[in-house]
Amino acid sequence: MADVRIPEGLWDADITPEGVVANWLYRDGSEVDAGETVAEIMVEKATMEITAPAAGRLAITVAKDGVVRPGTVIGRIDEQ
Amino acid sequence: MSRNRVLTGSRAMVEAIAQEMRVDPTVFVMGEDVGPYGGIFSSTTGLLDEFGEERVRDTPISETAFIGAGVGAAMAGMRPIVELMFVDFFGVCMDAIYNLAAKNTYFSGGNSKVPMVLMTATGGGYSDAGQHSQTLHATFAHLPGMKVVAPSNAYDAKGLMTSAIRDDAPVLYMFHKGLQGLAWMAAPEGASTEVPEDPYAIPFGEARVVREGGDVTIVAISMTVHHALAAAEALAKDGVDAEVIDLRSLVPLDREAVLASVRKTGRLVVADEDYRSFGLTAEIIASVAETDPGLLKSAPRRVACPDIPIPYSRPMERFALPDAEKIRAAVQQTLNRAVA
Repeated sequence: MADVRIPEGLWDADITPEGVVANWLYRDGSEVDAGETVAEIMVEKATMEITAPAAGRLAITVAKDGVVRPGTVIGRIDEQ
Repeated sequence: MSRNRVLTGSRAMVEAIAQEMRVDPTVFVMGEDVGPYGGIFSSTTGLLDEFGEERVRDTPISETAFIGAGVGAAMAGMRPIVELMFVDFFGVCMDAIYNLAAKNTYFSGGNSKVPMVLMTATGGGYSDAGQHSQTLHATFAHLPGMKVVAPSNAYDAKGLMTSAIRDDAPVLYMFHKGLQGLAWMAAPEGASTEVPEDPYAIPFGEARVVREGGDVTIVAISMTVHHALAAAEALAKDGVDAEVIDLRSLVPLDREAVLASVRKTGRLVVADEDYRSFGLTAEIIASVAETDPGLLKSAPRRVACPDIPIPYSRPMERFALPDAEKIRAAVQQTLNRAVA
């Protein structure tokens, strides 16, 4: 099981504490490849891409529009 | 074991463009901020990195010059995709669009083709005022010589873009900003869809029945498809079974799909974010009336932007633009019932 985690330092949380999940690019339960962009995070109207850390089945834990911070786990990948 | 990949409207457009550029060296992209910026509505994100500055060209702010150059390139054998950043900016470059791109195939006796895609952002709803919020579908559909398409979702955005690039005629590809899936602009739930990774083309002039129903036909396009579906859901709670048709293209126009639906329902509401008078909404109603006015059991209704510049003020803009509630009220009028 690998966490889909928003990287620490993706943005400066001292300036902008929170972002939101703007889009998921796979449905919950989809098979994804390692390194694929699986989600978009929006911070201060800028978009940042989140990639899959491993190949496997995606379980979304923070839905679209959910509030996130650097380090937040937004999903898991079951490597089977 | 399913991929179930979901794309936003903008990512679907970019995928179609990239796939065609990989197989056809004559395809290139040109426009304001299409390079490092990736298009202000993300219609070209990542293309510069893959294809380089020769094929993804940032232009000066002179629509007259670069759309004219696009027409020339198309006539010389290229397949340019030119972005007019906001459709509202057509005023300065309309000669290149409707006197050159639209007419040169005819004026050359068919000896020259103009296989150019002019993609342009439409629509309001985010307080960008009267020069950045218009839809203007009919302005281009009215003038002969161009095909005009307006997708309502990511699946259609990819398939229609592929068709537009491969078409030998000039194609106006009018995408609504609010359907792009931009992080900073809310999009309706159905705008992002599952999109196959392989290339595919959606033929022009084929409307899609997005919701079947027997009581009333709601004809929509682009953003109003989502308003129509929301209206249909609300109407279902009142026992009204609405059919929703997504036209997908204005030119060619699938009148047969509209007629087939109206033959079944006998009632018609047409919704478009463009201005009310002289528009798509009137064209659809005229098409039905010309064929057989007896098809209609009640007076048809138009839901469109009133004939005023789109307001900046959010409450005033909401008042002006079509939405689900206005469509629902129009449907109730066709049913000869009091509006709740």
